[in-house]
Amino acid sequence: MASQNIDPMLPTMQNKEKKVNATRRKDGHSVTMRLQRELMNVMMSGSTEVSAFPEGDNIFKWIGTVKGPKGTVYEGLSFKLTLEFPADYPFSAPTIKFKTPCFHPNVDEQGNICLDILKEKWSAIHSVSSILVSLQSLLGEPNNDSPLNPLAADTWNNQAKFKELVHEFLKKNSKNKSS
Amino acid sequence: MHMRPDEGEGSGGPMNADEAEVRQRRPMDEEGASAEPDGATGTSTQQDGHFECNICLDTAKDAVVSRCGHLFCWPCLYQWLETRPNRQTCPVCKAGISKDNVIPLYGRGSSNQQDPREKLPPRPQGERPEPETHGPFHNFGLGDGGFQMSFGIGAFPFGFFASTFNIGNGQFGGHPPRPNVPQNPEEQFLSKVFLWVAVLFMFWLLMA
Repeated sequence: MASQNIDPMLPTMQNKEKKVNATRRKDGHSVTMRLQRELMNVMMSGSTEVSAFPEGDNIFKWIGTVKGPKGTVYEGLSFKLTLEFPADYPFSAPTIKFKTPCFHPNVDEQGNICLDILKEKWSAIHSVSSILVSLQSLLGEPNNDSPLNPLAADTWNNQAKFKELVHEFLKKNSKNKSS
Repeated sequence: MHMRPDEGEGSGGPMNADEAEVRQRRPMDEEGASAEPDGATGTSTQQDGHFECNICLDTAKDAVVSRCGHLFCWPCLYQWLETRPNRQTCPVCKAGISKDNVIPLYGRGSSNQQDPREKLPPRPQGERPEPETHGPFHNFGLGDGGFQMSFGIGAFPFGFFASTFNIGNGQFGGHPPRPNVPQNPEEQFLSKVFLWVAVLFMFWLLMA
């Protein structure tokens, strides 16, 4: 009786998810392969602006670095990020967070990022390097319409003040994290 | 030589890279023409890249190409389409894409000329219905325990949602309904009944 009030579509959705899960389990190997290829691409690209490397032995967890874009308030800074890949990568987006405190309209205090390509606009062709490049341009061109950090969004127009706050935020939160 | 890889419309790669590849290939005939113009040496490592699946980044196996010209392994594309049945778009260019409008590619000498699309999924997998009912009910953000809601106001949007969903079922992403999915007519009926009870209840509330 408990199920009578449930959308009849639901069993279909659950089964579908189950099925996809079953496929996922089978090709855990291909996820590793893809991540290894990406690692190779990142290392071969020789980019000095962005870099990434697996953290320890686990290829599903990477540490990335993005340099503050030139000509922006972030110039001269370098941001560390954590990238966690789901078991069905690249069919789902990785979870990416700023490890270095980042005062930015689309980044909250915990380092969570609001970026469409990491959410609903995710596509399987995005890669670690393309994401990091996107994040770098997000630094210089925030989307102030849907801020995670309202103070940052409000201050963005006053770039001198914004720069001060960026450094203040970095100092304050680095102390808190004692890193 | 009429099988140049860059022939055909809408290949996603940059044009000069394709040209470089053709240039790369020619020296095989003209032995030892090693003085290549700039960029050709760089492409030697990327040369295979033109035939890599856009999803797994490996050489495409059971290759299919979309109408927009993008190459995938069929298993990869199948899984991509399967993860988002409501929004079937090309991962590269977001053009509309479906199982029926991708073209399988057969290379020379491949022993198996079977349409890759018929190979996967190898066969339908067994489906077992869930014993309990916490499902992802994103639209309302209610999470699990949806049915524990008090009847009345709670049932109204719920029932409404369920019944509208049933109506829209036919045009759901162009997927034919799976034969062994429990599309319980009883449940549909009950949800409609609850919708009407809820409507009446709301009406009564308004009148009182």
